[in-house]
Amino acid sequence: MVEFSGVTKKYDNGTLALSDVSFTINDGEFVFIVGPSGSGKSTIIKLMLREEVATSGKVCVDDQDLMSMEKEKIPYFRRRLGVVFQDFRLLPKKTVYENVAFAMEITEALPKEIRRRVPMALGLVGLSRKAPVYPNQLSGGEQQRVSLARAIVNDPVLLLADEPTGNLDPEISWEIMQLLESINNRGTTVVVATHDKNIVDRMQKRVIEINKGKIIRDQQKGLYSNDTKND
Amino acid sequence: MTLRTIRFMIKEGAVNTYKNKLMSLASICIVSASLVIFGIFFLISLNISANMKIFGEQPEVVVFCEPDMDEAQASLVGEKISDLDEVSSVRMVTRKEYFETVKEMFEGNTGLLENLDETFLPVKFNLMLGDYEKCDDIEESLKNIDGVWDVQYPKKVVEFIRSISYWLRFLSILLIIVLLLIATFIMENTIKLTVHAREKEISIMQYIGATDGYIRWPFIVEGVIIGFAGAIIAYAFVAYGYTIIADSFNNDILQIGIEFIRLIDIRDISFLLVLLFIMMGTLVGAMGSWMSIRKYLKV
Ligand SMILES: Nc1ncnc2c1ncn2[C@@H]1O[C@H](COP(=O)(O)OP(=O)(O)OP(=O)(O)O)[C@@H](O)[C@H]1O
Ligand SMILES: [Mg+2]
Repeated sequence: MVEFSGVTKKYDNGTLALSDVSFTINDGEFVFIVGPSGSGKSTIIKLMLREEVATSGKVCVDDQDLMSMEKEKIPYFRRRLGVVFQDFRLLPKKTVYENVAFAMEITEALPKEIRRRVPMALGLVGLSRKAPVYPNQLSGGEQQRVSLARAIVNDPVLLLADEPTGNLDPEISWEIMQLLESINNRGTTVVVATHDKNIVDRMQKRVIEINKGKIIRDQQKGLYSNDTKND
Repeated sequence: MTLRTIRFMIKEGAVNTYKNKLMSLASICIVSASLVIFGIFFLISLNISANMKIFGEQPEVVVFCEPDMDEAQASLVGEKISDLDEVSSVRMVTRKEYFETVKEMFEGNTGLLENLDETFLPVKFNLMLGDYEKCDDIEESLKNIDGVWDVQYPKKVVEFIRSISYWLRFLSILLIIVLLLIATFIMENTIKLTVHAREKEISIMQYIGATDGYIRWPFIVEGVIIGFAGAIIAYAFVAYGYTIIADSFNNDILQIGIEFIRLIDIRDISFLLVLLFIMMGTLVGAMGSWMSIRKYLKV
């Protein structure tokens, strides 16, 4: 599903965010990317989203070479992905229902399909009752569930989440993780960048740890950190 | 793009215009203010050039026949003159008539003309030209006609009219260009504000895979709606204001006895004006949207 080989990313201002990063994520996997602030987690997500382009190396997602992808193809590539962010990124002037439906409308889906799939996605995240409500009337956890519903409504092959629980308290965070796991169980590959130690330790999934732009650990059923004394 | 998508985008644009009421209202005001200013200049130049035509018909070209020519010979010359394309009408002034006008000129001082009768005067023709611009060309052709002694026309007046109408035309074109640029610039910046306020929205759309066209078109629809609304409001202002001014001006000027200067009736130009406003408003709106969104679609 995802292949990074020898990826280096240097931002325009000279910051070296990633250097020589290589890993492969198979279809259906659930992977955490962990590391301290500034280590390059978000950069990896951005490269997978084709928001940024690697300076050198090879980035492939969903069998597509992102290094050589033409600009016009990017939207169509992204429609096969789902994205979730720490700050939810919902459209403030659209209702919960409209926010989720919008992700389908842009793909020019049939209205019939939209009417069928949006309630399904909202049901899956447990927000059916909140369909006519605007995002600012929801709690953080609920907003994140709306953004999850939007991410999955097009049945993505890959779900990318950058600090999805960064703004939520532990209990709500855990609910979101459960949802991500159930999405993963339905066959979607899930990649979560986080520095939430609790959930990583509890989930027992594959962990890729990076520090200063380099992979220092890649472990199946890993914990947040191997270093038990120091957090 | 399917019909459904087009409808969706139009609806998106309309709904967004409504949901961003304040910004839309500000933009509408700016567009209509620019159009009102444009409309004022446009009406002024339209009226000047309409009255110019009336004025332009005034200068007469006078052709004098050889002094020894009798009136029968002269009328042959008159025929040749009226054969010229540029001449719209010719009137022969007989020696007698001419003498009468000269006498009038010397009224109270007839002593000077005491021993004279009309025979010392040449036969002359007063002619009107379809287009006063042609004075110079026709002077040559007239002089080439056998029996023509002299050609006179008010050179200064013609040159004055000519230079005024030239500058007027030049100025109104310049004005239209400048005003269009200003309106687009203002529009661009107003829409830039709305776009900036919605930068996050645009980036969200990009994350979930919206194409550039899908993001751009609702904004353009929004610009067109704003431009259209601005045009209608501007038209209402200009038409109303102009009607009042034109009515009282035409009234007043009649009262002081000037008949040949009249402001154009609004009904004769309202269609042109409303069409022009709507075209400019929507064009400026669409262009403003296009330009201000361009930056955000680069990445
Ligand atoms: N657009 C950018 N331009 C320049 N430098 C950037 C940009 N984005 C990130 N960086 C730098 O790249 C490095 C890695 O940033 P990144 O956002 O990937 O870290 P992170 O692991 O996600 O951190 P955090 O946990 O705080 O979110 C940092 O030094 C950051 O300052
Ligand atoms: Mg980050």
